[in-house]
Amino acid sequence: MEEYITIALPKGKLFKRSRDLLARVGYSAEGVSEDSRKLVISNEETKVRFIITKTVDLPTYIEYGAADIGIIGKDVLLEEQKDVYELLDLGFGKCRLMMAVPEAKKRPELKDYAHLRVATKYPRCAREYFDKLGIQMEIVKLNGSIELGPLIGLSELIVDIVETGTTIKENKLVEVDSIFTSTARLIANPVSFKLKFDRLHKLVQDLRTVLEEEQAQRS
Amino acid sequence: MADTILQVPYGTRDVLPGEAAARRQMEDRICSLFTLWGYDEVATPTFEYLETFAGTGQPGAGAFKFFDRKDSILMLRTDMTAPIARLVATRMRKDKGVKRLSYRAQLFRYEEAQAGRQCEFTQCGIEMMGASGAAADAEVIALAVTTLLEAGLKSFNITLGQMEFINGLIEAAALTDDQAKKIKHCLIKRNAAGLQEAVEEANIPEQLAYIFKELLFLHGGPELLEDMQKRVLSRRCWDALENLREIYELAKSYGVAQYLSFDLGLTRSLDYYTGMLFEGYAAGMGYSLIGGGRYDNMMQRFGEPCPATGFALGIDRIALTLERQGSRIAKRPETILVAYGEGKVTEAIHMASALRGEGKRTKLGSCPMTKAEAMQSMEENHCDVLRYVE
Repeated sequence: MEEYITIALPKGKLFKRSRDLLARVGYSAEGVSEDSRKLVISNEETKVRFIITKTVDLPTYIEYGAADIGIIGKDVLLEEQKDVYELLDLGFGKCRLMMAVPEAKKRPELKDYAHLRVATKYPRCAREYFDKLGIQMEIVKLNGSIELGPLIGLSELIVDIVETGTTIKENKLVEVDSIFTSTARLIANPVSFKLKFDRLHKLVQDLRTVLEEEQAQRS
Repeated sequence: MADTILQVPYGTRDVLPGEAAARRQMEDRICSLFTLWGYDEVATPTFEYLETFAGTGQPGAGAFKFFDRKDSILMLRTDMTAPIARLVATRMRKDKGVKRLSYRAQLFRYEEAQAGRQCEFTQCGIEMMGASGAAADAEVIALAVTTLLEAGLKSFNITLGQMEFINGLIEAAALTDDQAKKIKHCLIKRNAAGLQEAVEEANIPEQLAYIFKELLFLHGGPELLEDMQKRVLSRRCWDALENLREIYELAKSYGVAQYLSFDLGLTRSLDYYTGMLFEGYAAGMGYSLIGGGRYDNMMQRFGEPCPATGFALGIDRIALTLERQGSRIAKRPETILVAYGEGKVTEAIHMASALRGEGKRTKLGSCPMTKAEAMQSMEENHCDVLRYVE
C-alpha cells in the first residue's frame, strides 16, 4: 500500500491559488476550503491528505514532519528559519518587505533613522536588515495592523509586507527602502523528501510544467 | 530557593531508570560491534582549544565556549572527528597501520532544542585513518548499515553523495569563489528555488547549468550513476561517480546494497568532506540518524596528511526513532528483594551475596521488617521476587 502524502496549506491570501494549482497536478480532495471545519481532509483514492494551518505555523508543521510538503511565502520562511527544503518558486503571491515612515518624518539617508522604534511582524528579518545597514533600532513586535504604529506614536517606522502599497499610502506613509521580494514556495520535510522522493519529484516536475504553460499563455 | 534550582538548562535533559538502561544496552551493543570489526575505542577531553576545531566550518560556531587561566579560548567539543584527528596526528603518529578507532561521547552544540535535537547529545562513531579508495568507504557504509540493524531499526535508508562530483561541476563551470559559495549554500540548505536563481546569475553553459539546477533532484539507484556518467563531460565528475559505483559493488558483497540509494546533491553542514559522504534516515524522524564520509584534508591541518573516512550516529535520535517505530524498551531483569526480621541482618547479607554470586539481581532490605511489610516493600521497590529471612 502506498503511503499518504500530507500537504499543508496556509490560510489567507495564498490559499486558493495553492489549492487550485495542486488540483491541476492531481492533488485534490473533496471539501478543501479555508473555512472547513474538518482539520484533516483525506482523499483515500489518491492517498493525499490536506491540513490547513495558520500561515506562520506552516513551516513548523513541515519541519516536524507532521506534513510532508506545503506552500508558503518566502517572507515566512526567511522569518521563521526552519529546517525545510525549498523545492520550487511558484511565482505567485508576490509581495515585498519594506521599510516605511510617515511622509513628514522622512530623512535624507537610511542611517539617519538609527535608534528609532520600528514596528514589525518580522523582527528577525528586520534585525538582519538593520545589522547589514550597521544601525541599531528598537524593534517592536506586533502581530497585525503594523501601519498603526507611527499613527499613534508607538513607533517612528514600520517594516512590513506590501503588495501594491495602497495601505501604506492611505496611512500617509512613504516607503524608504525595499528589503526583499517574496513569492510562494513549495517546501518539503527533509526526510519525507528522501523517503517519498519519487512522488514528490513527479509533483515538482508537474508543477513546473503547469507554471511554464501558464507563463506561455500569458505572454 | 533560587528559580533555577529545580530546572535543567535549555537543551539538556535527565535520563530516568529504564530509559537509561535501555540506552546503555544499545550503546554497548553498538560499541561491541565496532570492536568486532576491529575498531579500538578511544576517549578524548570533553573540552579542547578552539583552534582544534578550526577547519570544521566556522570554528566555535554554535559551541559553548569559555576561557582557561591563561585566557586561551576553550570549547566543549561539538564533533569527535577533529579531536580524533588531533589524537592520531600526535599520539599515534608512529603507528604505521590503518588506524581504526571508535568512540562514544557526549557532544555539545547550541541548537534550537526539540525532540531528538538537544544541546547535549550522545554520539557513537568510528574513524578509519590511513586508507583511501572505495574499499575503505565501503567498509564504513557496511558498518553503518550493520550498526543501525544492531540498534534494532527495521526500516531506514542510507543516501550516498560525492563531494568530488559537486567540486568537479564547480570546476567545469569555472565559477568564482563567491558563486561557488552561493551554490554550495543552496545545496546545504536544500533550497532548489535559490539554486535555480544562483545558477542563472552565474551564467553557466547550458548543458552544465541544467545539471546544476537538477542537482537537488538527482536521486536514485545505481542506474543514476551510469546515466550521469554518460552526461557529464568532466573527468573529475566521472571519477567521482565511478567511485560511488565501486562502493556500491562492494556493498553488494557485504549484503547491504538494498539499503543504499544515491543523492548527487548531498552536502553536509560540516564542510570538511572531500569524497563520498552519506546520511541515514528513517520514517518518523525529521533529521538524519547517522552521517559521515571521507575527509582527506583534515589530517593535514594537524601536520600529518593522511586519508580518512568515518561516521557518527546520534544515540538520542536512534532511541527516539525506535520508540516511534513501536519498539518496546527492553524490560529490566528480574529483581529479588532479600528482606529480614529483627536480628537477622547477617544471614540476609549472606543470602544477598550468594544470590549476586549466581548473577541474580538482588536488592537488600534497608531495615528489619515483618513478612507483611516485606511484601509491600517488594512492590514499592520494583522487585519481582521476595526472599524473607526469619
